[in-house]
Amino acid sequence: MSGRRVAITGAGVVDGGHASGVLSRLLDETEARRLSHVCQMTVAAGRMALADAGLAGGTELALLIGTEFGDMVSTIRFVDDYLQRGIPGLSALRFPHTVMNTMAATAAIAVSAKDLSLTLNVPTVAGELAIARGAAAVRAGRIAACLAGGADEPPRLVLDTFREAGAGADVRGEGAGFVVLEPLDAARARGARILGEIVAEAWRALAVRPHGVGRATRSRAIAVALAGAGAEPAEIGLVYTSANGDGPREAWERALLDEALAPYRPPQRSLSLPAGRHSGLAARSVATAATEAGDGLALVHAVARGGNQVAIVVAGSRDRAA
Amino acid sequence: MKPVAVTGLGVVSPFGAGVKAYWEGISGGVCAIRPITLIDTEGFRCRIGAEVPDSLGGSARRSRADRFALAAAREAIDDAGIGRAERGDTALIVGAVGGGMLEAEAWYWQRARGGAAPLPRALASCFPSSHVDVVGSVLGIGGPRETVVTACSSGAASLAMAADLVRDGVVPVALAGGVDALTRICFMGFNTLKLLDPAPCRPFDRDRRGMSIGEGAAFVVLEEVGHARARDARVYAELTGYGMSTDAFHVTSPHPEGEGMIRAMRAALAQAGITAASVGYANAHGTATPQNDRIEARALREVFGDGGLLVSSTKSMIGHTMAAAGTLEAVATVLALGHEVVPPTARLENTDPDIPFDCVPRVAREVAVEHAISNSFGFGGQNVTLVFRRVA
Repeated sequence: MSGRRVAITGAGVVDGGHASGVLSRLLDETEARRLSHVCQMTVAAGRMALADAGLAGGTELALLIGTEFGDMVSTIRFVDDYLQRGIPGLSALRFPHTVMNTMAATAAIAVSAKDLSLTLNVPTVAGELAIARGAAAVRAGRIAACLAGGADEPPRLVLDTFREAGAGADVRGEGAGFVVLEPLDAARARGARILGEIVAEAWRALAVRPHGVGRATRSRAIAVALAGAGAEPAEIGLVYTSANGDGPREAWERALLDEALAPYRPPQRSLSLPAGRHSGLAARSVATAATEAGDGLALVHAVARGGNQVAIVVAGSRDRAA
Repeated sequence: MKPVAVTGLGVVSPFGAGVKAYWEGISGGVCAIRPITLIDTEGFRCRIGAEVPDSLGGSARRSRADRFALAAAREAIDDAGIGRAERGDTALIVGAVGGGMLEAEAWYWQRARGGAAPLPRALASCFPSSHVDVVGSVLGIGGPRETVVTACSSGAASLAMAADLVRDGVVPVALAGGVDALTRICFMGFNTLKLLDPAPCRPFDRDRRGMSIGEGAAFVVLEEVGHARARDARVYAELTGYGMSTDAFHVTSPHPEGEGMIRAMRAALAQAGITAASVGYANAHGTATPQNDRIEARALREVFGDGGLLVSSTKSMIGHTMAAAGTLEAVATVLALGHEVVPPTARLENTDPDIPFDCVPRVAREVAVEHAISNSFGFGGQNVTLVFRRVA
């Protein structure tokens, strides 16, 4: 792709069984008391990633967060407070959490990220989309560095309702995760450890009805990403997918990958199971892909019901020694 | 920055459907803020807002906000003359906050109160990302699709993100806009924060007491200039620059010195390659809260100096339409450039002495402006400034 080369210089993910320990270590007393759980995870993951990258906040640090649910848990509590106690029950402190950018707002304050801050809402592919957007902005020279990733805390009520409505049997989890992206030359100049490189990224929409799974298997996103990387399908040694237990969607994703990479069938892995998929997992997929790509290339891919698709080509160690 | 042409406009506003009704309303200084009928307001201090009239139509299977988005997006893309064949390579970026929450709330209220609440179809569309799926699917848009949530600057952010895709050569054409319907959560929340004026809002007035909420949608077609010329498209204006910044200061309050606002405005001017002195009009965020208007004026003065800049607030007529505001106000700015008429700040009687600008009180002003900006700021200190240039 034309433009600047994009280095991955840090990563941080908070989820699963170790989350509570990480939160108590990375949050101050006020944050632990006042922030909602998903905001706490977001702040902690942001701090982890920046510390890993050895980078500080400021007017040149941007923030891109993908999320499917935002802080819906707080939104439901805000409404329940009203339904149970009427107008006196409404909390002015809780109201801002009903807006989906609340994780970005609290994380920006916590890590002093003062360049642009974007919250991207989309099912399934939100974290990958935020990372792709962030990489494109670094590549184009619009931003100097960014935290890019995602966060989710799916509320039980919403998951049960989706299930009742006949939505997919996705296994969803909670967590937050970020990678730090910056120009490769800038990262080298400051002596940063290079985890890998985002070589190319693309996101497109496949023609599908809302919430539906498509039949078409031709993938423009993968084709554009491969072209941007100047890579042939044979060069992709590993694919991280968005598989998370939604059978029809997984079958569609496999068909998309099979056609785009044919005749090659590199190993496909998903980090979604068994703990469940959340938007922060994209950061783990990208960082792990960079680690495991070796001298080759890996593809991080996600496709959502409704047709949103993201493809990110990641390079590994070939630049670490450079 | 390589300029991007604005070749299509679409609006659903408290004045009804269509750009024509919107322009007639705002250029006429008409205030559309009235008692709210859509939701129960009993017991709240403020009970008014700017609702979209019921005549809009559209499928009842869709959420109110999806219907707004679809109507405005369709008007914009038809206005630009982008046919089905070209839409496969068109991007769609939507700024949204409330999604289909109005219908989800109704379901949840009924369920919580023990009623047998059937699962509404709209519940599946309660998230902001619903709009982009519905609009994209119905209009056959096959390029990148994104939903951006930057609170009350979402609509403006959508234009900035779309401009990036066009400038980067990802797509030649992008459809971008913002949408929000009134929701109980929004109404209750702003009441709880005591940010709403019980009477229609009065931005920049010495006696202003808060904002009024509203609803609507607006979409804009952005196009690579050469592409627009090649197909002989009508160009309303050019989007020549934008700036986005984050205060990183407070979740709801802007930075007291307007530091983030200033950075956004300066970045936008730098990207547009123009000086502050060349800007003739600012469509302000202008919410009418005592704090926001004072801080925005301070930031405007820091960037543009005292005096010459005309400043007005569209919210004085249609209220604060949340995620739609940034795009509705961008459309107002584009139309102001084209019509050579700056819309007024309605109900402005006594300009706050701390606001050293001509805020175009009550009556539109005929004036030809070359460059204009549109400011949008949101919870979380999310600042967006757009710069537009008039075309001959």
